[in-house]
Amino acid sequence: MSSLRSKTVKEMSDLLDEYEIKHGPVVDSTRSLYERKLKEAMAKGKKAKPSPDQTYYREEEEVTYEYRTPDRSDGAGDSGSYIRSRPACSEREFKHETSYSNYSRPKPEYGGKEFSDESHMYDLPPTSKSPYLKSTPGPPKEAPKALPSSRLVPLWVQFVFFVAVAVFLYLVFSSMETK
Amino acid sequence: MSSTSQKHKDFVAEPMGEKPVNALAGIGEVLGKRLEEKSFDKAYVVLGQFLVLKKDEELFRDWLKDTCSANTKQQDGEITTEKATHFNS
Repeated sequence: MSSLRSKTVKEMSDLLDEYEIKHGPVVDSTRSLYERKLKEAMAKGKKAKPSPDQTYYREEEEVTYEYRTPDRSDGAGDSGSYIRSRPACSEREFKHETSYSNYSRPKPEYGGKEFSDESHMYDLPPTSKSPYLKSTPGPPKEAPKALPSSRLVPLWVQFVFFVAVAVFLYLVFSSMETK
Repeated sequence: MSSTSQKHKDFVAEPMGEKPVNALAGIGEVLGKRLEEKSFDKAYVVLGQFLVLKKDEELFRDWLKDTCSANTKQQDGEITTEKATHFNS
């Protein structure tokens, strides 16, 4: 990381926001304070850097729209395809990938009913939010590429699990009523 | 040497005008000198700094610590005075 001294005011401000450090304007009298705070925050380890990634990601999405469409049909385990589509920005991808895979992995543990629904929902927005905003040409622009191994848990398994949990909950509910 | 609370009372009793930083509650000679060295020679300048830090006490404390190695008690006195000054005047 380059020296904090050489950062512009805007860069400092962005960095402070990244580390969620509440701050005012970066002026002469406050500069050294913020530099110190940033140094401490960095030393503590990069805590939170989600928003810049998401911002970049959304910007890049418009550019790499074509590459993303096969991923959309794949869904959750598309971290590999992200890397495939944007080799240049591997670093950002990686961060997003980790944050995304962290996102999808805890979900199965959490419990199926929400999982398949929400994961499906979560699949769609990241990959197709800006395409929807931008243009309506159908997402299935290209034939789905590699279906089998790109998902963490196959889609049908998610559906089956969801239905099973729903049935289970219904049974519990109905048994409660009779009692 | 007046106590912090007495100083505070004296300070907020009237508009600060051109009062020096020493008049601020919690700022004694040593701290006052350190602040003056950094060109914070008047109380209103320190108030200005408080405002630039968005009236955030935490930030203001950090800044005081950074600038003049104020301890907690001194910071508290400062903050109370600043808040009183700003909100009551």
